[in-house]
Amino acid sequence: MPINYVLLVSRQGKTRLAKWFTTMGPKEKSKIVKDVTQLVLSRRTKMCNFLEYKDTKVIYRRYASLFFITGVDPQDNELITLEIIHRYVEILDRYFGNVCELDLIFNFHRAYFILDELLIAGEMQESSKVKPLQVIHEQDAAEVEEANEEKNK
Amino acid sequence: MAMRGLTVFIADIRNCRVRELEEKRINKEMANIRTKFKEGSLSGYDKKKYVCKLLYMYILGWDIDFGHMEAVNLISSPKYSEKQIGYLGITLLMHENSDLVRLVVNSIRKDLDDNNEIHNCLALHAIANIGGREMAESLASDVHRLLVSPNSKSFVKKKAALTMLRLFRKHPDVIPAPDWAERITNIIDDYDLGVCLSVTSLITALAQQYPEAFMMVIPKAIMRLHKIIVERDFSADYVYYKIPIPWLQVKLLRLLQYFPPTEDTNMSEMLHNVLQTIINNSQETPRNVQHNNAQNAILFEAINLAIHLDCESEIVRQATNILARFILSKETNVRYLGLETMAHLAAVTDELDEIKKHEETIILSLRDKDISVRRRGLDLLYSMCDVSNAKTIVSELIRYLHIADYALREEMVLKIAIMTEKYATEHSWYVDVILQLISSAGDHVGEEVWYRVVQIVTNHENLQEYSAKMVLHYMRSPHCHENMLKVGGYILGEYGHLIANLPGASPIEQFNTLHARFGLCSLATRALLLSTYIKFINLFPEIKGAILAVFNQYRHVLDAELQQRACEYMAIATMPTDDLLQTVCEEMPQFPERESALLSRLNEKSGQTEDKRTWNIGGKDSNDKTPANLLAAKERGENASVDDLVAGVGGVTINGDGEAGEPNGAAQAPAPAPAPAKTGLSWKDQLAPGSEKWYNHLRDGADGVLYEDSILQIGIKSEYHGHLGRLAIYFGNKTHTQLNSFAVTVDAPEGLVIASSHTLATSIGPSTQIQQLYSLECQQIVTDVPMIRISYHAGSTQSVVLRLPVLLSRFIEPIQLASADFFGRWKQIGGPPREVQEVIKAPGKIDLEKARAALVSHRLGICENVDPKPGNFVATGVLNTSMSGKVGCLLRLEPNRDTNMYRLTVRTTSDVVSKHLKEILQTALLFNPQSR
Repeated sequence: MPINYVLLVSRQGKTRLAKWFTTMGPKEKSKIVKDVTQLVLSRRTKMCNFLEYKDTKVIYRRYASLFFITGVDPQDNELITLEIIHRYVEILDRYFGNVCELDLIFNFHRAYFILDELLIAGEMQESSKVKPLQVIHEQDAAEVEEANEEKNK
Repeated sequence: MAMRGLTVFIADIRNCRVRELEEKRINKEMANIRTKFKEGSLSGYDKKKYVCKLLYMYILGWDIDFGHMEAVNLISSPKYSEKQIGYLGITLLMHENSDLVRLVVNSIRKDLDDNNEIHNCLALHAIANIGGREMAESLASDVHRLLVSPNSKSFVKKKAALTMLRLFRKHPDVIPAPDWAERITNIIDDYDLGVCLSVTSLITALAQQYPEAFMMVIPKAIMRLHKIIVERDFSADYVYYKIPIPWLQVKLLRLLQYFPPTEDTNMSEMLHNVLQTIINNSQETPRNVQHNNAQNAILFEAINLAIHLDCESEIVRQATNILARFILSKETNVRYLGLETMAHLAAVTDELDEIKKHEETIILSLRDKDISVRRRGLDLLYSMCDVSNAKTIVSELIRYLHIADYALREEMVLKIAIMTEKYATEHSWYVDVILQLISSAGDHVGEEVWYRVVQIVTNHENLQEYSAKMVLHYMRSPHCHENMLKVGGYILGEYGHLIANLPGASPIEQFNTLHARFGLCSLATRALLLSTYIKFINLFPEIKGAILAVFNQYRHVLDAELQQRACEYMAIATMPTDDLLQTVCEEMPQFPERESALLSRLNEKSGQTEDKRTWNIGGKDSNDKTPANLLAAKERGENASVDDLVAGVGGVTINGDGEAGEPNGAAQAPAPAPAPAKTGLSWKDQLAPGSEKWYNHLRDGADGVLYEDSILQIGIKSEYHGHLGRLAIYFGNKTHTQLNSFAVTVDAPEGLVIASSHTLATSIGPSTQIQQLYSLECQQIVTDVPMIRISYHAGSTQSVVLRLPVLLSRFIEPIQLASADFFGRWKQIGGPPREVQEVIKAPGKIDLEKARAALVSHRLGICENVDPKPGNFVATGVLNTSMSGKVGCLLRLEPNRDTNMYRLTVRTTSDVVSKHLKEILQTALLFNPQSR
């Protein structure tokens, strides 16, 4: 039940993050981004969080000005995927402290690193909230240490 | 640590209010970075910063065609932060087949071997994100090592499991999954729930490909579920809005749907308990959205599993009530999922009554505000359709078709056409519906829909008159779709004469109706109509004049196809006699029964290692080929052939060992030999060294030892009858420890079918022998022998590849011919290429008895007193194949004692067989057992 891609798209249709878990050519990718963005942006609030795109299912949820979008296989469990999105948002929120779109723009690489701690190959690798954050903090600590070494030289 | 340069750059871009400004800024930056990179000697920090800027531009959608090398360099930096950006760079910028992959494989391997786990993790992420073949081949075993090693930390194991999953999905052949099955399956018991979750994902994918190898996961999955759900034993870290690790629950429930229901009563009771608890838990609707979603995610997966286990169980009945509540829910998500799950139930159950109670609600869902829900409603109606409600559903759908979304219409038309065909009780209803469909939704009617109408009308005589009448009626309506004209043209051309006496349907009126629209339609339709006209000339000579005028006109049209038709038809129609016309225009014969093209269009197949569907939309018969059902059929096959052995029934009886009977077709068909684990090397290159000597001894049909080493002894026993055979292979464990992960795969050449009649044990106890039976069927002439690969785990994983002595000659039946018969046929076959001759130097002294034995062992009948010269041999046999028929084999063997030579002449009715049989016999004659 893999997720094929994760997209973060702003309400204006700007891509803030695109992560692919299947191999696709650049043309195919940009077509999907364009089509799916358009489909999702045109949905109204009361509608369900699922829709079909070609032979795949798109599961999305809006958080403030950002749409978090995933593409999955047609038989995947929709609700559990929806909650993967939510867990990602929770972890971002905890890491940045009340996350907003700007955090994700200026720290786009962090958004990728955090996603790597949550999903590999499109599958959930860790569902607890604490553990991915621990790993990320360890990474940050390593970075700070390196920076300090640099200074002391 | 923030990179100031990057922040400034991003802020700059954000300040560009128009795209031109953004482009200008981007170009300036790209030029800047290019120069910096060219100058070289950048510090690690600068490289990191520039790569980051490139990545930001990439995310904004700009093409980035440089900087890859710098990213690659960063990977080998000793600094974690630089390494991390390097890896991010290659995963975003590089695709799997890039030449650069080769450059990074070594760095990745170094990081995999590193003692620092966070470096291991970066490397694993990179493999999972890129996952090309080269990477898979060179790094799969390293990933496996990190996964199974007891020294690996939990967070490394999780990543290793999913990385392997990604490699398997891309390149299943690189992962020897059956060999690794046991160790991987054991990790599911890991105390860490995160590890368990990742490994469950991995196993779910592997088990779909190798269900037998992963059977042992069933009890483990059930016990884990029981522990979490019933015993409520879990670590608090993993509770998500009051629900313990919902992701794992869903995964495990899904995994079990890929296997047939367990037969262990203890286990199935446990599982029942789990499902019942889930159903009970869901009686209340939690207020919190996340809590509610997680609970329902599990509930829906549990219902799917319950339906899979037994769609008539009490649990499913309770579930149906819950679903009935859900499809009325105010929450769109819940309505959507309720309809979807109900469609699953409707697709597999015979008992549709419970669902039919809600028909009205379901039909109403076609008018839901949300297209996603409307689609699910359509799927459900399609799945729940049967003879009793087909008319209601079809007429509702046709009514809805006019207002349906554009995107939905084609699929709807297809489904309506299928339902109508499947559940029609009156032929006229079928015709009415389809014609109505074509006339009202012509644009969305695919070609295959009207082809199918033609097929059905042609095959059902009682439909023909009625259809002709109806098409004529529809073609007269003001808005006649072109597709209607195509059907109409075809049907009137074939069956127009059946209605020619009705008022308003006289030949000229039929012709005028068609021709009125002729000028408005496409070239293809016009071509079709021209063919109708020539048929009209045959049916109604009285309107020949009007039609010839049309042909005449079209002889000068620009389009080559139309022009050719017009000229040819004109020529046929103006011949002095009507003989040719009548022959050409004879009524079409019935179409052979074939699978409806509509269904095949609907069930397009999914890729190989994508997750397989656990069910398909549609009636029960669409669901016989899901993985679990196939596996179940395979198991049933096993029982069937056991019955066969006991009862000794079956068409052909093979003598020997008290085993008898050809496994019946039903048992054989769904039980293909396990797919050979294809590796890059061909099996021939891996033949066990020294195995030749045993093989040569068995070539001539004996039973005995096929292979032996210090651990394993393998023996075979075989028997043949006609094109069928049975082969028993014995595997003996010579050691005093158990051999685990034991697996046997057979690679048969094309034309030879080898099916194992039961699942082989996956281990052999100390000093124990096990037996595996195979049934053989020779379908075509085969010149290769099958290969077998045995693998097992004894300290390390070992494998042995052997040839099986199943030669073509095994399928020969000896016959005896009298002299006259023999020479008659001998002459009939004649010389080369169907004759092959060879002079063979005998290995020792000529030994007539040995020569005779060689012929007999290859199942040829020695015909005595045929050759006038005593000492010469004449032998005959018939080679049997099930699909390419029989091949007669004749031969003469003339020994010459003076020169110690044989002259062998083979004549058969197939040159391939002649050549191959000569080679087999030549080897047999040269074979000297003493030279062992």
